[in-house]
Amino acid sequence: MKVLVAVKRVVDYNVKVRAKADGTGADLNNVKMAINPFCEIAIEEAVRLKEAGVATEVIAVSIGDKSCQEQIRTALALGADRGIQVETDGSPEPLVVAKLLKGVIAKEEPQLVILGKQSIDGDNNQTGQMLGALTNMPQGTFASEIKVEGDKLNVTREIDGGLQTIALNLPAIVTTDLRLNEPRYASLPNIMKAKKKQLDVYTPADLGVEPSAHLTTVKVEPPAERQAGIIVESVEQLVDKLKNEAKVIS
Amino acid sequence: MAGFAGAYDSICGRAVNAAIIRIFGGGFQVTLAPDLLDKLSRIVGANKLLMDAEAHVQYGRDWTRVETPSPAAVALPGSIEQVQALVQLANAEGLAIVPSGGRTGLSGGAVAARGELVVALDNLNQIGAFNSIDRSVVCGAGVITEQLQQFAEDQGLHYPVDFASSGSSQIGGNVATNAGGIKVIRYGMTRDWVVGLKVVTGTGELLELNAGLIKNNAGYDLRHLMIGSEGTLGIIVEVTIRLCRAPTDLAVMVLGVPDMPSIMSTLAEFRQQMELTAFEFFSEPALQKVVAHQDLQRPFDEPCAYYALLEFEQTSGSEMDQAMALFEHCLEQGWVLDGVVSQSVAQARNLWRLREDISETIARWAPYKNDLSVVVSKVPEFLTAVEALVNAAYPDFEIIWYGHIGDGNVHLNILKPESLSIADFAEQCGEVSKGVFEIVREHRGSVSAEHGVGVLKKPYLPYSRSPLEIELMRAIKRSFDPNGVLNPGKIFDL
Repeated sequence: MKVLVAVKRVVDYNVKVRAKADGTGADLNNVKMAINPFCEIAIEEAVRLKEAGVATEVIAVSIGDKSCQEQIRTALALGADRGIQVETDGSPEPLVVAKLLKGVIAKEEPQLVILGKQSIDGDNNQTGQMLGALTNMPQGTFASEIKVEGDKLNVTREIDGGLQTIALNLPAIVTTDLRLNEPRYASLPNIMKAKKKQLDVYTPADLGVEPSAHLTTVKVEPPAERQAGIIVESVEQLVDKLKNEAKVIS
Repeated sequence: MAGFAGAYDSICGRAVNAAIIRIFGGGFQVTLAPDLLDKLSRIVGANKLLMDAEAHVQYGRDWTRVETPSPAAVALPGSIEQVQALVQLANAEGLAIVPSGGRTGLSGGAVAARGELVVALDNLNQIGAFNSIDRSVVCGAGVITEQLQQFAEDQGLHYPVDFASSGSSQIGGNVATNAGGIKVIRYGMTRDWVVGLKVVTGTGELLELNAGLIKNNAGYDLRHLMIGSEGTLGIIVEVTIRLCRAPTDLAVMVLGVPDMPSIMSTLAEFRQQMELTAFEFFSEPALQKVVAHQDLQRPFDEPCAYYALLEFEQTSGSEMDQAMALFEHCLEQGWVLDGVVSQSVAQARNLWRLREDISETIARWAPYKNDLSVVVSKVPEFLTAVEALVNAAYPDFEIIWYGHIGDGNVHLNILKPESLSIADFAEQCGEVSKGVFEIVREHRGSVSAEHGVGVLKKPYLPYSRSPLEIELMRAIKRSFDPNGVLNPGKIFDL
């Protein structure tokens, strides 16, 4: 079984992101970049399927400028067999990403596509679902466990108030949630080997996609600064302030 | 801490205006005369003079648990003048003072178990003047290390001395103990960052030392005598700290190595070509315990005898390639067997935890701990000699090694076997200590690399310092503190 994994290059989630002064976006100058944590979980799951003898080949695909090859190489070091970069300028919106992934799926014909449920930069949570609609493949989103049984895939999903298990016909799309697995470290010998693995570069035109923008970013600004707290002298004063200033009790 | 050295027998040896009652367990209970209490509270204010038992336990001990805390009172001065007044009163009344910071020490240097007055600098916690040209900042002694680190970050700068207790240790205490930590290989010890000091001497006078100067060869540099003096020469009340550029994009590698000589070869190879910000090591038993108890992942499955953790900055973008090439070379030489590198800040933190969480993890085995150093090149033979000694005498003792190997500083930990009582274990470790320190002496190492002497290492000071050195230390002590009021019974007896 061939598994395709989507990998996105994003700002490291431990970095404090600052808005650009002109409000056009986040300041990405000299900021530490990493694989989107949910994509990291997607790679780990694909590699585990391969180690279990279920998957035969794992392909990591990333969309972006040349710098995203760094994240593809990391995916290769973690155990993916080969990589694909779809070269675009900037960061395309989810619909374009879904269309480009559909183009890759047409070329590669994977049985299973694993994506992160969302990327931590845009927080869109749209790509997997849009890809399902475009390809007409069944989707299992927010997966906390997946099991391949014959030509079926059982996906346990984290939903409000509990877990839901659904059975999908393969080929299928899965988006990962945080508890699906704990990704491994990239081993240094594997990073060395990853340098020699195949990495193909496609343009959107190769995949028959014309990148178009449907969304315009109007403004990016930091959240309002939290006001300093005060220390009250007594319970009476606290109750008074809750009643008359904050008006949270009556 | 130096294992379980017996309680020392002499107290400061001066008449104290207080009733001292020896109580059960070898501790002391001291009741101060009412007029003395009155004088103390007139200096600091009644609400800054703590007399309750809970405060006495809290302020009477550091992270060691060998002595029973029993101070006579705890004073929290709010100004330098109040500190001076307290010292002057102590001289007049024959009261011993234990200066107190965050009390995270591991040698009993801040322990008050003899009816002393604890002078806690908690309230001198203002971060004062910052100068961006000098890149210096003035801190009260009670500023928490982490607070200073955060302040530096807010200025776009960095305070690089870092260790596990930085969330509770105070700058004054760091200076008094010359605290080291995990980045010494790149940034040195606390000593290297102190450009000015204000110190209240044993006679209550205020010394202002060095005033922020980088270059100052006008006579003896008394600042450096104060740094690491463990509160025996003066009470540090204010520190001027130098800051530096914040490191960029730190990458962490953990390498598995077959033996100690291989770690040294790897260290030499990396240091020849790269500027490392850390080079630490730990043993397989240490890793196993951390992974089991801290819910952390092994870096890789293959067990290795030892692991090296190294860290470097990525400023130009080429450092990772260079590190990879060095790794490849070390792999070919058989010095390393496997390795991982952090791909994100979260991974870097988790790899660091494999090293930093060891101390906390093994605390449940009530370990015998030692903080030793030798010159870097002698570490392998030193470890072999210590292991041979322990294994021959006590084959059922489990040894856990870790430490700052890039600085020649190793932490020897021996876990208490379940079959032994704490008392029996302590007694046997006391025997081990003598042998270990004999090996330290043979290797011309230090019985305390970064934890200071306090009371726990006091009996072993002669293994690292000559009689002449110790006699000169006593003379220096008498110059700054002629009446012996400051932290008596610590480092050496007068």
